[in-house]
Amino acid sequence: MNLNKCRLSLFLSLIACLHVIGQENSPSQKDSILTENLDEVVVTATRTIRQLSSLPLPVTLIAKKQLQQTGFTRLNEILNEQTGIIMTPDATIGGGEGVQIQGIASDYVLVLIDGVPVVGRSSGNLDLSRFAIGNIKQVEVVKGPSSSLFGSEALGGVINIITEKPSSEKINGQVSHRMASFNNQNTNLTINQKWKKLGYSLFADRLSTDGYDLAPTQEGQTINPFYNYTLNGRLYVDVSDTWNVFASGRYFYQEFDVAPSTSEEQDLNLHLKVNHKATSKSQLQYELYYTNYVTDEKSIDPIDNELLIANDFDQRLFRPEIRFNHTFSPQNILTIGAGYNFEHLERSLFAGDVTFESQYLYSQFDFKPLDDFNIIIGARFDNHSEYHSQLSPKISGRYDLSPNFAIKGSVGSGFKAPDFRQLYLDFTNAAGGGYSVFGKEVEQAGIERLQENDEIATLQVDASELGEPLDAESSIGYNLGFVVKKGKLSTELNFFRNDFKNLIDTRILASKTNGQNVFGYINRDRVYTQGLEMDIRYKPWKDLNLSAGYQLLYAYDKDKREAVKNGEVFARDPETLQTVRLSTSDYFGLENRSRHTLNAKIFYEVPEWDANANIRVTYRSQFGLTDQNGNDLLDVYDGTFAKGYALVNLTFGKTFFEHYQLQLGANNLLDFKGNNPLATQDNEVLLNPGIQLFTKINIQF
Amino acid sequence: MIKKTANFFTYLFIFTAFVACSDDDDNGPDLIAVESSTATNVPAPQTGGQGEPVGGPFTKFSFSTGAVTTSDTEWDIAFRGTSIAVNGGVVTGTDDEPERNGDAGVSIESGTFADITTAEGLTFAQDADGAFAIASGSDNGWYNYNPATFTITPIPGKILVFRTHDGKYAKVEILSYYKDAPAEIDAMSDEARYYTFNYVYNPNEGETSLTIN
Repeated sequence: MNLNKCRLSLFLSLIACLHVIGQENSPSQKDSILTENLDEVVVTATRTIRQLSSLPLPVTLIAKKQLQQTGFTRLNEILNEQTGIIMTPDATIGGGEGVQIQGIASDYVLVLIDGVPVVGRSSGNLDLSRFAIGNIKQVEVVKGPSSSLFGSEALGGVINIITEKPSSEKINGQVSHRMASFNNQNTNLTINQKWKKLGYSLFADRLSTDGYDLAPTQEGQTINPFYNYTLNGRLYVDVSDTWNVFASGRYFYQEFDVAPSTSEEQDLNLHLKVNHKATSKSQLQYELYYTNYVTDEKSIDPIDNELLIANDFDQRLFRPEIRFNHTFSPQNILTIGAGYNFEHLERSLFAGDVTFESQYLYSQFDFKPLDDFNIIIGARFDNHSEYHSQLSPKISGRYDLSPNFAIKGSVGSGFKAPDFRQLYLDFTNAAGGGYSVFGKEVEQAGIERLQENDEIATLQVDASELGEPLDAESSIGYNLGFVVKKGKLSTELNFFRNDFKNLIDTRILASKTNGQNVFGYINRDRVYTQGLEMDIRYKPWKDLNLSAGYQLLYAYDKDKREAVKNGEVFARDPETLQTVRLSTSDYFGLENRSRHTLNAKIFYEVPEWDANANIRVTYRSQFGLTDQNGNDLLDVYDGTFAKGYALVNLTFGKTFFEHYQLQLGANNLLDFKGNNPLATQDNEVLLNPGIQLFTKINIQF
Repeated sequence: MIKKTANFFTYLFIFTAFVACSDDDDNGPDLIAVESSTATNVPAPQTGGQGEPVGGPFTKFSFSTGAVTTSDTEWDIAFRGTSIAVNGGVVTGTDDEPERNGDAGVSIESGTFADITTAEGLTFAQDADGAFAIASGSDNGWYNYNPATFTITPIPGKILVFRTHDGKYAKVEILSYYKDAPAEIDAMSDEARYYTFNYVYNPNEGETSLTIN
């Protein structure tokens, strides 16, 4: 950990000083930021309103206050400070960033807004910086598989962004502007009102930046200048005592300045939900959801204006869903839901337009056989037009041994449907040397086409295997947790294990006469992630919140581990270049996983000054980016390890004249830049652009 | 870089010296000693590539002389770019290819160089119409291409066991595809298409042993 002790201790003593000065004064009851409140409720774990502190599942709740006090504006930033949640850079230089939960990659994490899924992934990765968090009530993260409720993609966890409901009769809202390094300018406006039976909420956000460059010696910038807009309008109507309606529209538009090329992104979400309290114990919800994600990329040669690559992507999802809840008694709730997915994709690298249909049915029973014993059982059945149907059961339980001590555990299954790319990609990279990639549904036709053109040298697989359907990727997740609460201290410990099978990997189908390969997809890999997460929260004084989190992680490919154990995997000694046999301890595990991740946070408030300060530190230990020596796994002989590093973020905030808030802060205070181990000799490539200072002014009305 | 190359040669020297020392006289009187050798910087130029038709003569190598040869018959394996031909089977059909007139073949084995002790019981593949016995392409035959660093490196643990054109046996571990076998390859400055490999050749007719003693 490369902590600059002088600077750090300076800030810590500053916070301490604030406290001493602040001691003199009055008691004022404010919400805590990090410790659990009794009134903290979440909806993602069960799809019903549940008190966070009573749940049998590992759930992370990021409350509005924490969002505000950090000064962050985007979802990825705040997630990165939570225990066991890491934003990892893509292995490729300049690639995107993906979220990792319990060591499980972004492809297997479902992201929802108010309970409905967002789409639009690039190579499986969902860019979380797309989501502005200015109008959010809280972010809920359920760790481990939740396919029993949410279906495909909920293997590693579910991130649910919960927007804020209007509550005041007077028009209220806020306007704010935030300026940060790299000419990052963020303006947003929120307006809320609840007027008798009608409530509405409007949100507009604009972000622009000059971007930054991690590879100064190379041409172009890592992140090009861009601007984006987010617009969100929501309507809440209480039609009667038993009927209410929620409608939401969100639109996101982003454009990169890469002239003469173009790169645009659009995201539209329309969500309508009707609630009907059929009886005092039964409730029905009717939901309609439509989302459309579009990217339009054109790569144009700056010299002769010739179109080099056009990559267009247009994905649509339409989903009607019905849910039914019946409350037998306050602690015994039955949930049943059913829905229909219509998915459509047009992409320039595909053979044609693609349409998927799937139907699903799920049920859950949340009950208390004993006063201090809660069990939730649930299962979901997904029937899909393109692959085998999936049954995803889950059971979880919590036993409160005493008010201070609880044990909770869960076992559940998750799955991820083969994606469009794995089924329909038909791509030959002319610029990259002429290799080809075929999705499962088109590989047979693709190979035949190449054979007719005499482009195939040798077929590397049996011809009869071509086109055999892919299975969904699936997992079973186990979590066992202990909660201890004693006075000002609360601790939570969770052991996890996730076993994945049928992960889809690429394989070589054939070698081409030009010396390149034809790649296809196959269900092959079996991996596991296991470890423990620990959270400690301590509140020595009412205005001071301390917390620390740690995750220990082991993530391995099972078959590769077995092969190493059997002495079947080799590397080359970097000095003699001769083959050496790997031992089990030489196998480092899956790419981009750090064995240790840590965070520590101090949030402090001085009510009589209307001021607050906080400092947050995150650390991740060494991780490897990719295999380098051709044995298809990450071993100690690979020179692709990034050293462990710490990031320190700091924010000060003060309110003036009741309505004006000023924030000053620094993200990556110690100016960590790091080195990307994949950089070629003489070319330095950074991992982080360095310190980012910011100031934000917020006016509440 | 210079230092690392020097290091490499130091190791090489020690290794060769060690091998030479251990080369005692346990063999029967009729057998010629089996030796371990290193071929350095065997050039394998080619024309074309990158979508253009590949051409140019192959560089032929003979295990019995331990050197590059221009003979049309007394060669065992031949190099051009990443392609390795064996003097057995038939021509694959690419341009400027040498005629196959021997009985050479190859078996790709897994292990360390020392693990492979005999050619006994192996099945030897020969070049065929449209396909080299050592398959072309990254991760198919002997090498892996890393698209991030643009480098070609031998797949670790792939030992090539050859039957020579005249029915003797040799094992080969390719160490490098770059001139002077740099430990760390810079695809921009290091010159490619130079093979450096360790090999053990058993010059005795009918002998399959590939250990040195």
